[in-house]
Amino acid sequence: MKLVLERFLHNALALLAVITILFFMFRLMPGSPLAAFINDNLNEDQQKAMLQQFGLDRPMWQQYLIYLANLAHGEMGLSFFQRRPVTEILLEVLPNSLILTLSSLIVAYVFGVLAGAWLAWKRGSWIERAAVPVVLATRAAPEFWIGMVLLALLSFKLGWFPSGGASSPGEAYTSNWQRIFSLDYLQHLALPVITLALYLQGLPLLLMRSNMLEVMHEEFVTMARMKGLSEWRIVIGHAARNALLPVVTAFALGVGLSMGGNVVIETVFSWPGIGRMLVQAVSVHDYPLAQGAFLMIAAVLAIMNFVADLLYMTLDPRVSHGRTG
Amino acid sequence: MMLSVEDLQIHYATRDGTVRAVDGATFDVPEGRIVGLVGESGCGKTTAVRAIMGVLAENGRRAGGQVRFKDQPIDARTTRPLLWREIAYVPQSAMSSLDPVYTVGAQIEEVLLKRGGASRAQAKARASELFELVGLSDRRLRDYPHQFSGGMRQRAAIAMALALEPSLLLADEPVTALDVIVQRQILDMLRSLQQRLKLSMVMVTHDISVVAYLCDEVVVMYAGQVVESGPVREVLGRPRHPYTMGLRNAFPDLLSDAMELVPIHGSPPDLRQTLTGCRFAPRCPFVQPACTSGNLDADVTNDHLTVCRRSAEAGTLRTAALDPATWQRSSSYATS
Amino acid sequence: MAERAEERGVIPAQLPTRAGWKLPPPVRRLLTMPLRDPFAFAGIVIYLLFLLVAVFADQLATTDPTEILFLSTGKVAANMPPGAEYPLGTTNLGRDIYAQLVHGTESALAVGLTAALIVALVGTVVGLVAGYFGGWIDALLMRIADMALSLPFLPFVIVLIGFLGPDTSHVVLAVVLLLWPNSARVIRAQVLSLRERAYVEAARVTGASQVRILFVHIAPNILPLSFVYAAIAIGWAIITEASVSFLGFGDPDNISWGMMLQDAFASQALSRGQYAWFVPPGVCIILVVVAGFFISRGYEEVFMPRLRR
Repeated sequence: MKLVLERFLHNALALLAVITILFFMFRLMPGSPLAAFINDNLNEDQQKAMLQQFGLDRPMWQQYLIYLANLAHGEMGLSFFQRRPVTEILLEVLPNSLILTLSSLIVAYVFGVLAGAWLAWKRGSWIERAAVPVVLATRAAPEFWIGMVLLALLSFKLGWFPSGGASSPGEAYTSNWQRIFSLDYLQHLALPVITLALYLQGLPLLLMRSNMLEVMHEEFVTMARMKGLSEWRIVIGHAARNALLPVVTAFALGVGLSMGGNVVIETVFSWPGIGRMLVQAVSVHDYPLAQGAFLMIAAVLAIMNFVADLLYMTLDPRVSHGRTG
Repeated sequence: MMLSVEDLQIHYATRDGTVRAVDGATFDVPEGRIVGLVGESGCGKTTAVRAIMGVLAENGRRAGGQVRFKDQPIDARTTRPLLWREIAYVPQSAMSSLDPVYTVGAQIEEVLLKRGGASRAQAKARASELFELVGLSDRRLRDYPHQFSGGMRQRAAIAMALALEPSLLLADEPVTALDVIVQRQILDMLRSLQQRLKLSMVMVTHDISVVAYLCDEVVVMYAGQVVESGPVREVLGRPRHPYTMGLRNAFPDLLSDAMELVPIHGSPPDLRQTLTGCRFAPRCPFVQPACTSGNLDADVTNDHLTVCRRSAEAGTLRTAALDPATWQRSSSYATS
Repeated sequence: MAERAEERGVIPAQLPTRAGWKLPPPVRRLLTMPLRDPFAFAGIVIYLLFLLVAVFADQLATTDPTEILFLSTGKVAANMPPGAEYPLGTTNLGRDIYAQLVHGTESALAVGLTAALIVALVGTVVGLVAGYFGGWIDALLMRIADMALSLPFLPFVIVLIGFLGPDTSHVVLAVVLLLWPNSARVIRAQVLSLRERAYVEAARVTGASQVRILFVHIAPNILPLSFVYAAIAIGWAIITEASVSFLGFGDPDNISWGMMLQDAFASQALSRGQYAWFVPPGVCIILVVVAGFFISRGYEEVFMPRLRR
């Protein structure tokens, strides 16, 4: 339990550091110090409200504390160009990013784990020796380029998938849930997920293969053989179960890392997610929106790092059950 | 005869050549007896035992010889039905031999369910029974391997080995990693279990005092071959092979105070080379020119087998072996 | 004792021999590694090839990559298919794609090598100092490293570029700021283990100065690790620059592979099926990055050899 608290604090402090860095970065920009939250796009009332809410006429250290307090309440200011609360905008697009990330990771990891275990089993064969460089090549390709090639081939040329966005124009839904599970949404989701999954599968594949190779040489695997247990039981029940531990942790970490990396995929496929929002906000200098998007991505990263820590602690009995004897 | 090993040869294929880890080993394990298999690291004792269980590494294979269990010949394939049900294994380090992510109870129940055809309830009951047998509280069945102390883990491993009521127990240095007091407890427990359950046992060890304490018979191995074997009192009391004589001097006795320990200088030969004559010759204080060539025959008298050209002079050599100075001189032989 | 240390690949100081100074084994292995690992060798060949292309770019592609080309009819030579005159065709603004690809190599290597060098330098120095001196210096440096690692990579680069402006040096800066912790941590761990080795103790006892121990005894044994992370950093920097350019934040005066991809994407090259435009830059990136992977894997084997599986 003490360990859980320690990891929570560690990640919370890391997030606080990011927030602080961001705070000072936006304050140190050229231009008026108010430029982070106030812009001529906003009308007079809105500008006054921002001044008050963020204490923009107060000394820096007070502004910092007010900023933190606002964040705790989910207040991130008003978007210059959309003229509505940043939080509102971000929460609208957050589900899209999460669905993209989770779907891609699940596909990538299921494939990667199975393929990695299979390659470990086929150790020494030419398939295995050829596969590793090929997998490394998939990790060497820029995600967006894979997306471009697949778009050109599967969407524009063969017409199997729509070429962008999350929905076809003119569709209407009664609720968000209905929209997400509609065929139209899934069709739009397919190509981005395939692209991302292609890029992401390399890590779980190589990790699983490497872990399996190591675990298969462990004494307890030989012991399982000596007991006469079936090959299936040995490879899956004992070897894979042990080899999977680091992979599960990597999955959690992957969610956090992917949220940041999705920026390019969302742009290629015009997928309405947080990453794309960040890019657009930065290009038009919509500072509150840019800050908000960045913070949200950083927050997901910090949360998933903590989740990864928790998973590692609960799934490995050597950590979850201390020594009693 | 419970187990009969005849001229066993186990080869490993390595990048630098074929290693003949076991090169013609012959020994028997009579029913209901404890046979100690003793020798230094690399002499082939562990390999022999693993070969009997059919779990050699990928680059290992049985290149010759025969293994008979209850008078039936067995090999890696035919051993399978016997594994754990008739022949079980007690590892040196239970920590690495037990899966860290399952409770010890689950691992015992696994073998009962999958190999013993027991029901869940029966498996649970039997697991408790086994723990009781080795002196562990059955509450500990719910614990993970890392939560046990070394001695308790070895007991758990022994319990697991006895799960399916095997006839033969192959123990590979089961007490080496433990401190002396715990060693004795475990050895005592093994002896009492062996008597109660009428087990036959092979006790692999490099520690001759363990053999003296527990075993009925002893087989001494060197460089992949058997150099001496016979009843324990005979072989240890009146050793006829210089290596055995040297071993006796190299270990503190479990029961008596430490006397001066005299190591045997040098190291065993490279098993990738073709070796002729007596393999111990380079390190032997009693070596003679005849020792280094030709094949050596076994000299058997009263169940006491010796493979040494000078076995007839055993008495004189034995006396000389008791003097530490004999072994000091042997250090002048280079290890080549 | 000296032979033993040499066997382990770790050596207290340079050995004078009859022929003069001999290179310490770690450095020797560093240089000969590619001869033993075919993939690493391929990686080095790829790097050399790209280096040659970058150096001889002007000779290999005589057209100016930014020049708008015209047909004899006076119209812009837009979207020409690959042909004898323009091996990869032209962009929708009439620029020679092949020339862009060739000149893009200069930018890629410049970014990659600069970033890799600085990351390796910073990471190594920080790792050495943190690992060797320990205490509050170590704690401070590791806290800073943690902070750098909790920043989402690409978003941070984008925000930084958004502030500082679209210059390639800013991309390098961002990459360095975020990548140094990885190598620093591993090098620190290695230093911690080396610190306890007997010969370092011996050097200390005989009065060698801290600096001397650090640079003469410990540093050579860290070098292969630095190379490992440098090789990885090259690839990462190139992909980051490509991503940033693709998103539209690239340096407009700089012809890079990423910029080509952005151009292709924005000009609807995908729907027109102009594979000759957007496939080659991607392939080039893959080659350079994969080469980096192979080389770093090779050095990993040198430094942390595993049993051949």
